[in-house]
Amino acid sequence: MSTVEKYLKPEVIRQISRLDLRAQFIVKGFLQGLHASPFHGFSVEFSEHRKYAPGDNPDDIDWLVYAKTDKYYVKKFEAETNLTGYLVMDLSASMAYSHEQELTKFEYSICLAAALCYLMIHQNDPVGLITFGERIVDSLAPKSKRQQIGNILSLLAKLKPKDKTDVAQSLTQLAAMLKHSSLVMLFSDLLVEPEPVISALRQLRHGGHDVILFHVLDQAEVTFPFEGLVELRDPETGEMIEVDADGYRSDYLDEIESFRALYERECRQSRIDYVPLDTSMPFDRALTEYLANRRSCG
Amino acid sequence: MGFLTPWLLAGTALIAVPVILHLVMRRQPRLLEFPALQFIRRRQEANRRRMNLRHWLLLALRCALIAGLAIALARPTLKGSGLRGKEGAPLAVALVVDNSLRMQVVHQSETRQQVATEMAQWLVGQLPEDAQVAVIDLSRMSGGFVVDANTAESRIRTLTPESNPRPLEDAVREAVELVADREDYRQEVFLFTDQSASAWNESALQSIGQLLAEAPDVRLYVVDVGVEGVRNVSLAPLEIRNSTLRPGEPLTIRVSLDAVGTTEAALVEVALENGVGEPVKRGQQLAEFDEKGQAEATFELGDLPLGIHQGTVRLAESDSLEVDNTRYFTVEVRPPADVLLLAEHNRDALFLREALQPSFSDDRQQGRFSCTVQRFAGATAVDFKDFQAVCLIDPPALSDELWKALADYANDGNGVGIFLGHRARLAGFNDSSAQMLLPGTLELRSRYATYLRPRGLDHPALSGLRDYAEEIPWQIYPVWQYWQFADLAGDTYVVARFANNQPALLERPVGRGRVLTLATPISDPMEPQGRQPWNLLPTGPEPWPFLALSNQLVGYLAQSEREQHMFFAGETVNLRLAAHQRVAGYALYLPGGQTVRRKLSAGEETIGISTTGDLGNYRIASGGESRLLDLGFSVNVAPDVTNLARVDPQALTDALPAHQLKIARSLDDVQRYVDIGRSGRELFSWAITLVALVWGTEHLLANRFYREAA
Repeated sequence: MSTVEKYLKPEVIRQISRLDLRAQFIVKGFLQGLHASPFHGFSVEFSEHRKYAPGDNPDDIDWLVYAKTDKYYVKKFEAETNLTGYLVMDLSASMAYSHEQELTKFEYSICLAAALCYLMIHQNDPVGLITFGERIVDSLAPKSKRQQIGNILSLLAKLKPKDKTDVAQSLTQLAAMLKHSSLVMLFSDLLVEPEPVISALRQLRHGGHDVILFHVLDQAEVTFPFEGLVELRDPETGEMIEVDADGYRSDYLDEIESFRALYERECRQSRIDYVPLDTSMPFDRALTEYLANRRSCG
Repeated sequence: MGFLTPWLLAGTALIAVPVILHLVMRRQPRLLEFPALQFIRRRQEANRRRMNLRHWLLLALRCALIAGLAIALARPTLKGSGLRGKEGAPLAVALVVDNSLRMQVVHQSETRQQVATEMAQWLVGQLPEDAQVAVIDLSRMSGGFVVDANTAESRIRTLTPESNPRPLEDAVREAVELVADREDYRQEVFLFTDQSASAWNESALQSIGQLLAEAPDVRLYVVDVGVEGVRNVSLAPLEIRNSTLRPGEPLTIRVSLDAVGTTEAALVEVALENGVGEPVKRGQQLAEFDEKGQAEATFELGDLPLGIHQGTVRLAESDSLEVDNTRYFTVEVRPPADVLLLAEHNRDALFLREALQPSFSDDRQQGRFSCTVQRFAGATAVDFKDFQAVCLIDPPALSDELWKALADYANDGNGVGIFLGHRARLAGFNDSSAQMLLPGTLELRSRYATYLRPRGLDHPALSGLRDYAEEIPWQIYPVWQYWQFADLAGDTYVVARFANNQPALLERPVGRGRVLTLATPISDPMEPQGRQPWNLLPTGPEPWPFLALSNQLVGYLAQSEREQHMFFAGETVNLRLAAHQRVAGYALYLPGGQTVRRKLSAGEETIGISTTGDLGNYRIASGGESRLLDLGFSVNVAPDVTNLARVDPQALTDALPAHQLKIARSLDDVQRYVDIGRSGRELFSWAITLVALVWGTEHLLANRFYREAA
């Protein structure tokens, strides 16, 4: 049984095994609704025809083919791969955290990444994968073949978030790696000092890359649902702090709010898409909303 | 500050619970993975300080809540009885209920005594079970602590008006001394009275003030049940000129009226009881009051037959105080007493006879005495039993037979008067037969000039002169000669002496009778023939002392002294029995209609009655239809007892120690004082309110802290 197939079992549906299916479902629904890629390449050339489906742009109907066959066909274009997508996945130990949620932040991120991967492959955009801890750990060169999805998912399925992380360093390293303008889709909880990260994001953006920052937090990290006296341990550093959760909640919420607000403000200034997520949100809907939003903006 | 249940203060120890929970038994924190520790870390210090502050504040509030609850349940009091070291001690309470007749004033359909009784009963109901209670009233009986509250209540309920109350200060003294004896107790005296000025006079205030000063632990609560603006007309004691009347002598009754709060004329009625004791109205008079509220009425009742007559003088209309609207009287109409005057010559008896039975008196009105003069020579032929008294005026030596007859006469309970003079001789008078009557052997005829000087006037033979004792100028009636006695018989009593201290008037009981001997003549002329007068008693410048003296002496001998028929409640009545009235038993008819039968021991000459608490007319009878014994007397209320004037409260507070005295005017006042005096003013309601406030604050704070967090 292949790695991908074992994920097909219903009982492990919550795991990432059905990422491709899930991704298909998400993106198909999306495409069927929108009929246009939210990602536009620089040069697009015709590749083939396909049957017209309701919802397709009528401008794309090839009237010559209609004249010959009396059927509607739309022209299909193949992008020349100057829009290369990179799924950049944070492998820090904190990404493995989940508090009473089905998915860890990492799993949630994989779901999102799988969906986006499917979407881009579906558009024949090449997609690559980069994982990082304190530095870049793994990378998969971008390809637009359909097998790429399987490759990426296989790799992600094997990964375990366990390292310490240095987002800024990794991004800087990534910026140095990328030769062409690319679409960098960063999945991280960003639980590090924000200034170096923001600086690295700016640098990446400055390098001509399009950046989407998926800021994935666990629901517990957003709502701080604890009660009473708790001792909190940082899974990365092992540091422990004892707090009265009830008395601390408001302070915490203030902090997390200002933390998100900081990223949002900085990203807006740098024209980076900042997508704040938490694992309690249904990720398909979250993604759909984001993509719709991006399309309407772009 | 005191506590009713101080042991509950131990509950404050429960403060330890939240403290232990807070400090010792802290919850073990739950260990949780949490990556976003950096947000915690930033505000950790400030948050910890704030949380600590909140926790300490909540801890303090919870401790205060527990302590407050314990204190509230311990029932704090603002001020105890003020007796150091006696908070929480049991109570010794004396309830003094003024039950004098004055308390019978009716206001709003209740007598003052009823009000006082209700208050006292309520108070008893408030007392704790371990309290020692004494109920004291103004009767002469002194009480002690009763067994329990029920007994006390019963005693209060059965208190009856006291017509002969003792002074209020005496009852207060008894109460104070009673509770002061209970040294380990809180000592409280509650006095329920109407604040009468007559009860709270200056000496009473002084006495009670001194009493309280000697017992500093005793608290006196005066509960004023009196009322202002009472309308009352009272009758003063009757003034009856002569309560022993002779046939034909009219009865004159004069009565003074005193009005308070009204000036309307009052109708006064006089009634005499008929043969079956029913009152028959004999007259009425409208008494007009002057500006001082004084009035007077005089009644004259004639044609009273022989015997005892009893009646009432009363106001026709009722008012607030009924008890002083009626006055009772008893008079007696007696026949004249037959007196035998034995003399050598009729002229020797002249002065005495005229003194006893004036020849110029009104024929319609018989005198007190009916005199018969007989010479000594024929005395043996006289039956002495026809006379109530025999007087020997300047007797010479008499026959043994006559002395013996006189002795027998005296033995039967009659009176013999021997007035010695110039005819007396040692030989004839010192014989054994004469000595049966004489007080002693004659020694000599003294020529030592002196005069009669009675002292004391306590003896019934002279007691009638007591009212004029200061006014009789005995020294202007010289006595130049008198008989001096060598030895006095053992049973002789010297009734009066001369100024030189020699016996002048002597009494000797003989059998059941009495013999009076005057050592100098009673009826000596001013200028006797052939000799000097022995004295000027009958012939002195003023005749009335002689009249009085002779009437007294012969009246005593004839046992027809003017008897007292009017008494105040509580006085002991002594009624002298004449020889013919000696009975073995009698019936006493009380004013209420009850009859008490009593026996008399042989030879008893007086009837003593001390149960004179009921107002009204009393009658004593014996012998059935023959009326061998028929006596009567009246008992009235003393004038001051019904004086309704009220004392100025300032006088009370000025005279008595302020920290020991409280004056209450209502049940509320009593309750307040009871609260303060017994257990202090209870602060439970305040304490529990404070606890509720603390609890509310704690709740609010706790909610506020956690709501912010939620």
